[in-house]
Amino acid sequence: MSSPPLLEVDRLVMHYVTEKGEVSAVEDVSFSLKKGEALGLVGESGCGKTSIAMSLLRLQADNAVFKSGEIRLNGENLLALPEDEMRRHRWKDIAMVFQGAMNAWNPVYRVGDQIREALDLHFRPRLSDAEVTERISRLFEMVGLNPAMANRYPHEFSGGMRQRAIIAMALSCDPSIIIADEPTTALDVIVQDQILQELKKIQEELGMAIIYISHDIAVIAEVTDTIGIMYAGKLVELGPTVEVFARPKHPYAYLLLSSTPSVTGPRRKLAPLEGEPPNLLNPPTGCRFHPRCPYATERCSIDEPPMEVVGDGHQVACWNWQEVPVTISQEARP
Amino acid sequence: MTRYVVRRLAQMVLLFVVFLTVTWFLLYALPGDIVKQKFATNPNIPPEARQVAIERLGLDKPVLIQFRDYMINFFQLDFGLSFNQYPRKVSDIIAERLPRTIVLFLTALVSYYYAGFLAGKYLAWRRGKRGEMVVTIGGVGLYTVFYPWFALMAIWLFAAELGWLPISKFLNPDEWRNAPFTANQVFIRLFMTVLAVSVFMAAVVLLANRIRDHRPRTFAKLGGVALGVVLFIWYWWGTAGGALMRPYAGDIAEHLILPVAVLTAVNFAGIMLLTRSSMLETMREDFILTARAKGLSERAVRDRHAARTALLPVTTSLVLAVATVIDGGILTETVFSWPGMGEVLVTSVSNEDIPLALASFSFIGIMALVGHFLVDILYGVLDPRIRVGG
Ligand SMILES: Nc1ncnc2c1ncn2[C@@H]1O[C@H](COP(=O)(O)OP(=O)(O)OP(=O)(O)O)[C@@H](O)[C@H]1O
Ligand code: SF4
Ligand SMILES: [Mg+2]
Repeated sequence: MSSPPLLEVDRLVMHYVTEKGEVSAVEDVSFSLKKGEALGLVGESGCGKTSIAMSLLRLQADNAVFKSGEIRLNGENLLALPEDEMRRHRWKDIAMVFQGAMNAWNPVYRVGDQIREALDLHFRPRLSDAEVTERISRLFEMVGLNPAMANRYPHEFSGGMRQRAIIAMALSCDPSIIIADEPTTALDVIVQDQILQELKKIQEELGMAIIYISHDIAVIAEVTDTIGIMYAGKLVELGPTVEVFARPKHPYAYLLLSSTPSVTGPRRKLAPLEGEPPNLLNPPTGCRFHPRCPYATERCSIDEPPMEVVGDGHQVACWNWQEVPVTISQEARP
Repeated sequence: MTRYVVRRLAQMVLLFVVFLTVTWFLLYALPGDIVKQKFATNPNIPPEARQVAIERLGLDKPVLIQFRDYMINFFQLDFGLSFNQYPRKVSDIIAERLPRTIVLFLTALVSYYYAGFLAGKYLAWRRGKRGEMVVTIGGVGLYTVFYPWFALMAIWLFAAELGWLPISKFLNPDEWRNAPFTANQVFIRLFMTVLAVSVFMAAVVLLANRIRDHRPRTFAKLGGVALGVVLFIWYWWGTAGGALMRPYAGDIAEHLILPVAVLTAVNFAGIMLLTRSSMLETMREDFILTARAKGLSERAVRDRHAARTALLPVTTSLVLAVATVIDGGILTETVFSWPGMGEVLVTSVSNEDIPLALASFSFIGIMALVGHFLVDILYGVLDPRIRVGG
């Protein structure tokens, strides 16, 4: 806890305004990220992971409104910046590997030129032609691509190669943070794993912070230091990955972990997660998990549980976290 | 790319031969024959003369021989003599009319595509704003209007009432009485200078696109376009040859304004709506998000990423536009009394001037094929996926 946070998300509330009403996609979410830290955000589809990622770059959909809260990068509130200043932070400070990055390349320009576009935008003084070529070659080598490929068009790349090139582009301006939103879901499992491992290696080498986003907790467990579990627009548990895996405190986290095959240990058997995630147009009162929660009490449907510190850097938002059994194997992580 | 071009060219030639064959047999199958029509109604012509004419025209030979002879002659660029303007060569008539049609429709096509693309970009940009409604309703209104009526109204208003523009025809005969040039020389010169300047501008813009820095790139593009305009002005005003021809070229240009303006008004809305929907679709693509995330300005995202990619379907529609030039061409040339290919086609068919009709059909076919081919090439240049796949 020595270095000051690089990024702080402070009680962020973001809604989508639709004809049917407001979708409460991000509700009172707080977390912070230190230099070089790897944070994972996990949750079911539709729980607001991408909404948070987009908010960090201020690329939220047109119908999104920030109700309250701040996003501070090195202490500066990004939500208060004028658009052109925000633009200077994009990619230079926070780069992103998108969900479904297969189509993240413009088909009509060469891959190298698309990377160069970012370099031209953010480097002052501008890099010379030779420096640009040199830099792109180095990035390509780093992600395991032949540097000559930079002169090719995106359609000449396979899915995995495209994704590697996207990672190269994300690294191009030496960002302090990379957001990887389901960076590999469109790829086959083997390629997925390779790319994740390489990304982790590069991230550790270069010492930048990364936010991994996935609905698959097993994927995230291997590559993160800290993990945040989201449910229906809320962050319900946040803590060191080892700790959360070993002793999940939130009933949702507990059920989620028990319904997922363990990464290393034997498959955990417990009550499966039943029911559907709620409609965020009209989320449940009190604790949003209460309709599905086996530990719910009367209070849960009335009062919203606040985040409570339950250990070193470990927080949980649940009234009855002490009821959750501590049964999961102590060495869930190697 | 070369392979792609060669293959398209080969396809084109083959298609043309098929087209010519079908047209030939269709016209052959037309009821009535020229000799009867021209000779039988005139009692002063002796029957022997009729027989001579039939033999000289080769009409007594079997169909397939006639067809073979026609094809051989055609590819030696001998299209025969016109029945109606006998003994004028069909090739002369075509050579006279074709440039007029090409100049008119190329100008109109460029004009309404450009207007439509800009308007469409504007619409996608201002989605949900009031300007969008006005432009859409205006454009679609013009698009659905009954075209000949609209053209006549335009002639009535701008030519007859206001007197701003000439009423019809492609030149003013009074001014050409002692002209040292034929209209066609002027047409071709006009066409060539515009073509040269356009090619120059396109080359400069393409080269400028390689410049990495935004400012110098924009500067080079604008500079190239400005230089093109200067070169054009210099030719027509600064050189002796250009200055001598200029009044005549000006007369033709003046006659071009109204039909081009009417064609643009009526046609741009189609391109506009296409561009708009193509832009809106492109704006939803993932790569637009990437472009934004990189920190590009909204303007750069739209112009460099969205508009550039949205151009592809718009280019495809050019193929269809080339086809509509042909049927729309007949209407336009009739309404504006523009003596081009459309007019030749109509009169030659109704007069059963078979050689002229055949050649007109063929050249309209060639125009369509060449147009199609050029669009394909353009598409290949714009879309790298096609280029390599070829
Ligand atoms: N532009 C929008 N307008 C209205 N609702 C939206 C919009 N974008 C997302 N939502 C809704 O907001 C909620 C959160 O969406 P988000 O994309 O952030 O979820 P996610 O966790 O990334 O899901 P996934 O795992 O499927 O990517 C969902 O219920 C979604 O339906
Ligand atoms: S607050 Fe209540 S409903 Fe919510 S998770 Fe805890 S026990 Fe379940
Ligand atoms: Mg998502």
